[in-house]
Amino acid sequence: MTAVLVHIELEGEAIAPVSFQLLGLARTLAGDHGRVDALLVAEAAEGQLPQLGAADRVFCLGGAVAAGYLPETHFKALQAAREASQPELTLVAYSSAGLDLAAATAVSDDLPLVAYCQGVERDGEELLVTSQLYAGRLLATSRVTLPAVLSVVPGTFEEAAGQIQGNPEMIDLSAAVDTSHARMRLVEVMAPEGDDVDITTAPSLLCVGRGIGDQDSIAEAEELAELLGAEVVGSRPVIDAGWLPKSRQVGKSGQRVAPKLYVSLGVSGAPEHLEGMSKAGFIVAINKDPSAPIFETAHLGSTCDLFDLMDSLAEQLRQRGQ
Amino acid sequence: MNQLLFWLVVLFALGLAGRRFWQTFAPLTKAPPDPRWSQPRERLTGLLRDVGLHRRLLQRQPSGILHAMIFVSFFVLFTAIVQTFGKGIDPGFSLAPIGGDTWIALLQDVFALVMLATVGLAAYQRLVTKPARFEGSNRKDAILIYLLIAAIVLFMLLEFAGGIAAGTVPAAWRPVSSLLAEGMTALGVGGSSAAGAEAAFYWLHLLAILAFLVYIPGSKHRHMFTALPNLFFRNIGPMGQLAGPGIDAPGINRAADLSWKHQLDLLSCTECGRCQAACPAYAAGQPLNPKLLIMDLRDSMQEDPNAPLLANAIAEETIWACTTCRACMEVCPLHIEHVPKIIDLRRYLVEDTKVEPQLQDAFAKLQQQGNSFGKAPRQRARWTKASGITVKDARKEPVDLLWFVGDYASFDPRVQPLTLALARLLNRAGVDFGLLYDSERNSGNDVRRAGEEGLFELLAEHNLSEIASCDFQRIMTSDPHSLNALKQEYRRLGADWTVLHHSQLLLGLLEDGSLAPSQTETRRVTYHDPCYLGRYNGEYEAPRAIIRHLGHSLIEMERSREKSFCCGAGGGRIWMDDSAMVERPSENRIKEALDLGEIDAFVVACPKDKVMYSAAVEALGVADRLAVLDLIELVTEGDEIPS
Amino acid sequence: MHIVVILRLVPDLADDLDLAEGGKSIDREWVGLALNEFDEQALEEAVLLSEASGATVTALALAGEGVERMLQGALARGASAAILLEGSGDDPLPSRTAAPIYAEAIRALAPDLVLTGVQTIEDLFGQLAPYLGRLLDWPQVSAVSGITLDAGHCQVRQEYSGGRQALIEVALPAVIGLQTASKPPRYVSASKLKEAMKSDRLSRQPAGAGRLANAARIERLVPPERSAGAEMLGDDPDSAAAGILGALDARGLLGT
Repeated sequence: MTAVLVHIELEGEAIAPVSFQLLGLARTLAGDHGRVDALLVAEAAEGQLPQLGAADRVFCLGGAVAAGYLPETHFKALQAAREASQPELTLVAYSSAGLDLAAATAVSDDLPLVAYCQGVERDGEELLVTSQLYAGRLLATSRVTLPAVLSVVPGTFEEAAGQIQGNPEMIDLSAAVDTSHARMRLVEVMAPEGDDVDITTAPSLLCVGRGIGDQDSIAEAEELAELLGAEVVGSRPVIDAGWLPKSRQVGKSGQRVAPKLYVSLGVSGAPEHLEGMSKAGFIVAINKDPSAPIFETAHLGSTCDLFDLMDSLAEQLRQRGQ
Repeated sequence: MNQLLFWLVVLFALGLAGRRFWQTFAPLTKAPPDPRWSQPRERLTGLLRDVGLHRRLLQRQPSGILHAMIFVSFFVLFTAIVQTFGKGIDPGFSLAPIGGDTWIALLQDVFALVMLATVGLAAYQRLVTKPARFEGSNRKDAILIYLLIAAIVLFMLLEFAGGIAAGTVPAAWRPVSSLLAEGMTALGVGGSSAAGAEAAFYWLHLLAILAFLVYIPGSKHRHMFTALPNLFFRNIGPMGQLAGPGIDAPGINRAADLSWKHQLDLLSCTECGRCQAACPAYAAGQPLNPKLLIMDLRDSMQEDPNAPLLANAIAEETIWACTTCRACMEVCPLHIEHVPKIIDLRRYLVEDTKVEPQLQDAFAKLQQQGNSFGKAPRQRARWTKASGITVKDARKEPVDLLWFVGDYASFDPRVQPLTLALARLLNRAGVDFGLLYDSERNSGNDVRRAGEEGLFELLAEHNLSEIASCDFQRIMTSDPHSLNALKQEYRRLGADWTVLHHSQLLLGLLEDGSLAPSQTETRRVTYHDPCYLGRYNGEYEAPRAIIRHLGHSLIEMERSREKSFCCGAGGGRIWMDDSAMVERPSENRIKEALDLGEIDAFVVACPKDKVMYSAAVEALGVADRLAVLDLIELVTEGDEIPS
Repeated sequence: MHIVVILRLVPDLADDLDLAEGGKSIDREWVGLALNEFDEQALEEAVLLSEASGATVTALALAGEGVERMLQGALARGASAAILLEGSGDDPLPSRTAAPIYAEAIRALAPDLVLTGVQTIEDLFGQLAPYLGRLLDWPQVSAVSGITLDAGHCQVRQEYSGGRQALIEVALPAVIGLQTASKPPRYVSASKLKEAMKSDRLSRQPAGAGRLANAARIERLVPPERSAGAEMLGDDPDSAAAGILGALDARGLLGT
């Protein structure tokens, strides 16, 4: 592939993890002879260049016009970068910004677009792209003729491959992007409310049920969750008991979640609970009752004592970390 | 002179009282109609039972006895009031010819003491023991009433005492007044000054009576006038048949739109709080207190009958909190109808698109799929696949028994095994039964009670036409909510079937030997009466007879039969959010069962109960100690374990 | 002020999805259809805006099975009018192909604001709102949760991952892909629905031609692997833990 262009996204001031994932994917697809280009629209673009070592060139739009995310500005910048880069493949994240940009780019230049990408494979001159469809109930494989645009689900690809320090060539787009006659204006950027996480977007969740016994054991679960890179959530009895805040309740009267990994400890699996989590990608259930309904929905199960298992898991994870 | 003054005072007071009575009750003359004349004989006997025999009042002590004493004393002392007014009109008036100076005098003296003592005890209860049910009631009003009564009685005694001291009233039959007269004499009041005292107390007595009369229309004490009509015009059933919404108003949001009977209800409330003490939503810490609801409606009506009720006098959350369990209506001494008012307010909210979020979700599923689980209709009878028996399709061939399964028994994985077990039992007993398969829809019983009248009509019309096309003798359901719809609500729409609850059918099969389980162990069990089986449909015996037939010992909870405590699922509550409760009614109930001591099963007869109480024993961590068993499981237990 | 809201029916995920012959699409014969949940949010926001500002709301949809009833539902919910675009074919069109048809109808209606759901569960080839934005050359914002209207412009709240959000002022006319309405969608009682079924506010007009875009092609659809019931790892905590971590490793689920 001759050139892949990646749209870099920011989370606040920092480069979003998904952008590194896309850079890693771009590197793989471009191969040894291909070029990876990146588009960075950021107020302090230059300072962030060294983090984008995975790219050969970075098209930059900096300064006041680039402050915050404005769909219009980013689209214009992406058009300018595409004009200069002439990429065979344009990669954006399947995110709010990606939603704005992918379809707009595809229709402007009459390019094929595949959304919700979770796997990309080369097949000769074409790509075979796997996407989630019907909320994950089906996987679709699509054949894409290049040049094309893909929007890729965050968390799909390795971050490490794209997280390379370096000195990419910088190409300033300020002259190529006309930001006058703007039809949008950024009024205010708002930080997330409170420090609590949004459990509906967390990739991994560790759910504790009544079997956890008491509030003190929650701390133990939290330690394990940290080792797993997961957020702690609870079933109804745990929330009722006040051991976890309501914002962390999974189930009919709480949140419906679909993380990639869902580990449940001492949850029996009432229908109201299953309704909230059965769409998780991979479900591990620990419950001492072998007839607990959660095992019907789970992929992997064990009936061992959950405190023993938490200890074993934590210990083995720590050993790996060393 | 005195007589002129008497007439002036009495006419002025009567005029004032009359004006206040008119202001209070005139709106009833303009209220929407509500036919309440049917079955006058039944109405009258019920009225006599509840007034004459104090049937409901005496169920709560000591208040019941206190009320009875005040009630009787009032009638006795009414003779003194007759004397007072008689004397005012004609100074020569006397009851002496019929015993006014003998037995009537004695009764007056004795019951004056009884009245004073009772009022004292009642005041003690209000001010010192303070039962929780009085919380929120108007205490000032109650105390003022006690004071007025005490004043009337005291002045009466003192008037007699003055008369005795002056020699104008015979002392023989008046032991109490005589004692007071001796006191007067001892204080140096005798002769003409005693006659002066008699006259003075006469006037004080008269004025206290008139003050009482003028005060009553604005007080909860007006129930002494409203009780009789309110009881006579009470709802005499069928209890499970809800009145439809008004033609012009699909729901109610103004007090003025309440029918005259519902307005009379509001004016009759004595704030006694029996409903509050019985209410499962109130016990759960939900924002519903049936007594305050009635009081708030009343106050809003009296302030401005055209003001919107919801979001002003009444919060939406209050209206959604009701389980329609009828416990409040069952204990109200005046038969005030709380639930129909709540449902009329819900109807307004539904039309105004303001529906509790999870209920909205359920309504949408019911609109689209005909069940609250959002499952495709053809999945309704999927449980039959595992039964190992072929279940007849009642739409295609005649059956003796048409089994209306209901949503929870069809779809909830906790109840499906029971449904399956019941199918096997019927099969073994040789019952010729069939299902409606995918033609069955939710019966709409709770949809209607959640205020969605249009959706209820859609569901009911569908079921009615499907059932009408089948050839069957009887209908059976294990779900009391469906039972209520089939037996009572659909009757209003033209249905006329024999409808059985599964407890009734199973009892018959056990008694005639079609089912003969060989019990290996006998249990100590308690039984929970489902609201829609017991209070709404009067079936308390069949489930108990099954338990006894199987040889188990039945330990009753304090709140059983008419006093059963709702699991919290009725009236659409099972679809709504219950996370904000202090204590779920189901958990409160399980604790009551645990307090019975050594019992090992909590027997239920309703799919929703199975769901609610299974969750409750789980939440309380007592699932290993107390099994939640449906009657089906009890019968199956000695027979064969359903796989 | 005139708001057009585009509504689409999608397969109801409460039902099982079966594949059609050839394995490139789902069998729509047996599957129930439901209003796309984000379109429902868009409709609610449109009705809220109309209640707040007196704007008229036109619901727009391509004809298909159940669509007429869905539009009646929109009328019951508070839309002022509904238009059924007929003749675009039987099968539901991908957003990419349908976008030009909607765009043509919208140009004729000349609204101030177009709302639709941010995505559907079927948008494999891209989402409708950004397509429309480009085709109409109007500003477009996706993933919006709440709109306020002003003279000549609107203010939208765009949501990003991690709970961050921004307020953006957008000149009208504009296209907005809605994620969440300012209030949860209201309930429409069965009696209101019955009333709307009798109303004459639903009109039909022929759909313009779609445009065959340079699109990707579906090779196959497959359900993700899922075993019936959990594979059980036994009772020994150490070996169970090892089994779990092994499985997570194999699936790349031990992130950091």
